[in-house]
Amino acid sequence: MSRQEIYSPEGLRVDGRRWNEIRRLSCKINTHPISCDGSSYLQIGNTKVMTMVHGPIEPKNKSSLLQDRAYLTVNLNIPSFSFFNATTNKKLSKNSKKILELQVSLVNIFQDLIILKNYPRTQIIINTIVLNQDGSLISSIINSISLALIDSGISMYDYISSVNCGLFNSKFPILDLNYLEELDLPFLTIAIIGKSENVSFLLLENNLPLDALEKILAISISGSHRIKDLMDNQVKKSSKLRIKSINEQSIN
Amino acid sequence: MSSTSKQNWAISDCDAHFCDVLVMLKIFVPFHCYGWSSQKCWGAEEETAGEAGKAGEAGEAPAEATMEVLTVSKPIQNREDFDSDSDSDLDLDFASPQKQSLQNSVVTPGELVTSDPMLMRGHGTYSVGNKTYSSVAGTISRVNKLLSVIPLKSRFRPETGDHIVGRITEVGNKRWKVDIGGEQNAILLLGSVNLPGGILRRKSQNDELTMRNFLKEGDLLNCEVQMLYNDGAAGLHTRSLKYGKLRNGLLVLVPSYLIVRTKNHSFDLPGNVSIILGVNGFVWLYKTPLKTSLSSSSTLKNTNLNKFQTMLNSDSSNYTPGSTSVSITRLEEESTWEIYSDKNDPNISNNVRLNIVRYKNCLKCLSHCEIGITKSRIEHVYDISLEYENSGNLIEIEVMERIGKDVLNGEKMRGVNTSKMMSL
Repeated sequence: MSRQEIYSPEGLRVDGRRWNEIRRLSCKINTHPISCDGSSYLQIGNTKVMTMVHGPIEPKNKSSLLQDRAYLTVNLNIPSFSFFNATTNKKLSKNSKKILELQVSLVNIFQDLIILKNYPRTQIIINTIVLNQDGSLISSIINSISLALIDSGISMYDYISSVNCGLFNSKFPILDLNYLEELDLPFLTIAIIGKSENVSFLLLENNLPLDALEKILAISISGSHRIKDLMDNQVKKSSKLRIKSINEQSIN
Repeated sequence: MSSTSKQNWAISDCDAHFCDVLVMLKIFVPFHCYGWSSQKCWGAEEETAGEAGKAGEAGEAPAEATMEVLTVSKPIQNREDFDSDSDSDLDLDFASPQKQSLQNSVVTPGELVTSDPMLMRGHGTYSVGNKTYSSVAGTISRVNKLLSVIPLKSRFRPETGDHIVGRITEVGNKRWKVDIGGEQNAILLLGSVNLPGGILRRKSQNDELTMRNFLKEGDLLNCEVQMLYNDGAAGLHTRSLKYGKLRNGLLVLVPSYLIVRTKNHSFDLPGNVSIILGVNGFVWLYKTPLKTSLSSSSTLKNTNLNKFQTMLNSDSSNYTPGSTSVSITRLEEESTWEIYSDKNDPNISNNVRLNIVRYKNCLKCLSHCEIGITKSRIEHVYDISLEYENSGNLIEIEVMERIGKDVLNGEKMRGVNTSKMMSL
């Protein structure tokens, strides 16, 4: 794909979006009410991620028992069927370095976000499965885990919302990249705590001109805030439905 | 939220039925806000919005870049519901006192609950300076000065006096570890169980060595929370004849918030089935034990006679775990080795087994529809379920939802006054 098609002179991207347009985000919480304590399903464009949280529970083995706080485990599962073009893509096996590194950084993000000292001598297990991927994978995983933790009733300081942003022609920032754009553009993934400007996680694996960084950060922070709003709306909506059904029972 | 965003929501609602709508949220972000040492972490958005307003009026566009994010939102299916949602959500300010008393207001993590420094912070909150924020998604509850947020969903939290059902996971030093579906395993000390034969004495080293003869890994038991340790773990006891090992039945797991804490948690149900509704959401369904004359007021002679009868047909266990009428004074007569026996009653009829399964599916119906579980509701669902000959049909989703509606409608018709049917 030539570089011109990524961002047309009219200001449209390969999928017809503007430079600052997020793909359609839809999310659900409490998708697996029986099998785990908190669950979520998040879809942004064609990227689909499902998360299940177990815990706080008694630690599975003694080594994961901490006297003063909960032990956090993140299991990331990216099956090969999640690539829409499995043949040309490099496959990520369960123990590949990339996955292990991601798991560690996810633990680091959520360790600071969850109020772990409220749950001494317990373990919290987060299982994430990527069902389909089409760009902005890591940010969708972070958003999905954030929703599942809220669903499980585990105390946390705030939401965490994440988005990625690329740079076209070393000048124009482009928000929320899809798979094709990720192939061609340098991009960074950022995670923001709540509605603040506190960066909890920033991942940059390509070269990016330093003078463009400020522009990219500004638009990604706005994008993260927008995603936080969308997730918050969904959480409030489903909470209200539950409360409504409880009230119906007690009014009778 | 700024007023621009509200307007844009209104636009999106008007156009919602055409197609996907571009919702434009204008966030003007002055670049000098993004210092690397971001000090204004909480409530930064108001400040930014304020500055943005000023910048817009003065028209200082070259210095400040415009950062707006476009999103595509789904056509809204349930428009009325969403309208009321978005309006109330955006306007809710929990710091104002009259809104605080508002029932059913939902807060989410990181949301400001109050900035009143006089209030005490309870569960589900944290504070930065004088401001109290919510740390879970749930409803605000205020008891005098204590402010807490109750999550909509969480694991079971034991309280002293709870009647619960648990499963032994570990036999340790003078104690059993019991899985009660909570955050941590509960502890059952050797000192807080009844010895077979009902002898009241200090537990010796010999008892420690034979702990596995009483209860071993995987056994289910019926017990009460005696105390809570500092870290939130529960200490259990079974020092009453209504508690002890469970036999002759089936365990059903339901969410713990569906079970209401009441005075009594074990009932006899129609169809020769009894139930123990553990507060932790572990429900034990079992064959109603034979009522011997022991439970009525009996003379010593009668008791001896019964003992003799028991010895005669010793293969049928006469231990009655759920019968609440047994007092602790008859400990000697009733607690033999039988109370720790692993043998099921061999005479459980097919009919009783089918009834137990039917009750299990009734409980699944109630938990699927998220209806609080009480004795009267279980009996009601059982009555409805009798029109399905094969109780396996009960767990089809359409049937479960229909039954759930029937139960609630039935209560409405009869005017049952249930002020609180769920522990939420």
